[in-house]
Amino acid sequence: MKAVLQIENLTKNFGRLCAVNKMNLKVEAGQVFGMLGPNGSGKTTTLGMLMSVINPSSGSFKWFGEEATHETRKKIGAVLEHPIFYPYLTGQKNLELTAMIKGATKDQIAEVLQLVELTDRRNDKYKTYSLGMKQRLAIASALLNDPLVLILDEPTNGLDPMGIAEIRELIKKIASDGRTIILASHLLDEVQKVCTHFAVLKKGNMVYSGPVEDVNNGSETVEVNAEGDISEVLSAFDGVSAVNRENGFYEVKLKDGIKSKDLNKFLFEQGVTASHLVTKKRSLEKQFLEILAESK
Amino acid sequence: MLHLLQIDLKKLTSYRTFWVVCGLYFFTLGTTTASGMEFLKWLVSMGASFGAEINITRIPFYHFPDVWQNITFVSGFFKAILSFMVVISITNEFSYRTVRQNVIDGLSRSQFLISKVLTNVLLSAMSTIMVFVIALITGMIYSPSIIMGDVLTDLEFFLAYFLEVFAFLSFALLLGILIQRSGLTIVILVLSRLIEAIIMANIDDYVPWMIPYLPMESISNLVPMPFPRYVFQEIQDYVSISSVLIAGAWTFVFNYLAYLKLKKSDI
Repeated sequence: MKAVLQIENLTKNFGRLCAVNKMNLKVEAGQVFGMLGPNGSGKTTTLGMLMSVINPSSGSFKWFGEEATHETRKKIGAVLEHPIFYPYLTGQKNLELTAMIKGATKDQIAEVLQLVELTDRRNDKYKTYSLGMKQRLAIASALLNDPLVLILDEPTNGLDPMGIAEIRELIKKIASDGRTIILASHLLDEVQKVCTHFAVLKKGNMVYSGPVEDVNNGSETVEVNAEGDISEVLSAFDGVSAVNRENGFYEVKLKDGIKSKDLNKFLFEQGVTASHLVTKKRSLEKQFLEILAESK
Repeated sequence: MLHLLQIDLKKLTSYRTFWVVCGLYFFTLGTTTASGMEFLKWLVSMGASFGAEINITRIPFYHFPDVWQNITFVSGFFKAILSFMVVISITNEFSYRTVRQNVIDGLSRSQFLISKVLTNVLLSAMSTIMVFVIALITGMIYSPSIIMGDVLTDLEFFLAYFLEVFAFLSFALLLGILIQRSGLTIVILVLSRLIEAIIMANIDDYVPWMIPYLPMESISNLVPMPFPRYVFQEIQDYVSISSVLIAGAWTFVFNYLAYLKLKKSDI
């Protein structure tokens, strides 16, 4: 697959602080790429460098296989940190200005306004917009000129649950057009719900990168309960690597390749009928915390 | 080029402050330069009560070709108002952080700067045209006879005036980019001439030859003060090539420093 973005040894130092340390990353066409990391881990700095508003200390990156220029940026729609617009201009005029810079046509403005449902408020000044509307206008502006790549940095920051759901739907809608999306967030749930791939940053270092599906691979954990004490029965199963009692359930960690149905079958053969048996999905949150803990 | 100018004008033309400041600028510039005769009349009426008699029609303030230098000199004072607009325009980009978004959206940093510089060129050109029209009309009203030779003499003052305004606006743009806060920038802009005057007073005894090379001094040397000629003093009634070269060099330096600063910093 064609690499949309290739980063090599990208580094940024702010004085003695190393905000991004020798980052290597590849994003391929069609991926919805999540950048995870606690606040201050270097996500926005990285994106700022990719959009040429922050000068890298060393290292390089390529968009679409070429050196980045202002022309390549016109093919990328980006919102970093928070929406930035001229407060005294209307939503419509702000978008007209962006369209002039990007070389987009005027028809597209109506189109993107429709998409983010701001058509009714387009002639109101930007400063009168609510936070959710500002975020939506920023996404509309990023979508002008049909970008090949969309970069969103904490797009749901400060939104109410409904706003978050709306933005999430919007991202999925955009991703379904086959566009590449790079999404920076500290909200794991968000990344898990919309991303195909993700990377984890910690204090400027990239500590993990891979597909989101992999999160669910590996050993399974099953929550089991039955009448009486079954801990001995459970421990007797070859496929079990650990048994813990937690919240009134037995938490059984299975060995690689062993599935919950194997455990169920074994229990049945032993004459134990499980009253509760749930395969626990490993959440990204858990994985994320593990990765952060491992990288210490 | 035109596209970049259009981008900057798009930002300004829906900004009420821009219209208010520019309106005030062109209004005060126009009325002040056009009402010199009325001012002189008022002065005479004041003097009359003390028994002094001055025949103002004998002061050829608005006569061709005197009018060119007189009006461009007076107009030079008003460039400060225009420079405040330039400061507001550039510092807004930093306080709203829109310079960042402009670059993200696909302007290069130099294109961003060029769009601002082009607006400065436009504002300077509009000032020059306005001053020319006023000088032409007042000259035609007040000159006793219109001789083509006199009308066409000394027109180089308009080039000098254009450079004077453009150089000062370039300086304002540079300060705005360096300081990024409108209030502080305006204070420093206003004080810069004063600070330079203090420096001038101090170096006068040691290196007097340096004085014409100071930036603010070189800008004000473009159109020299004409009025002492009416009390029979010798004045410089031409635009000196050296002052044009020095002010031109400073203009280049201002814009180049602005470019370097913008290029190097994280925005």
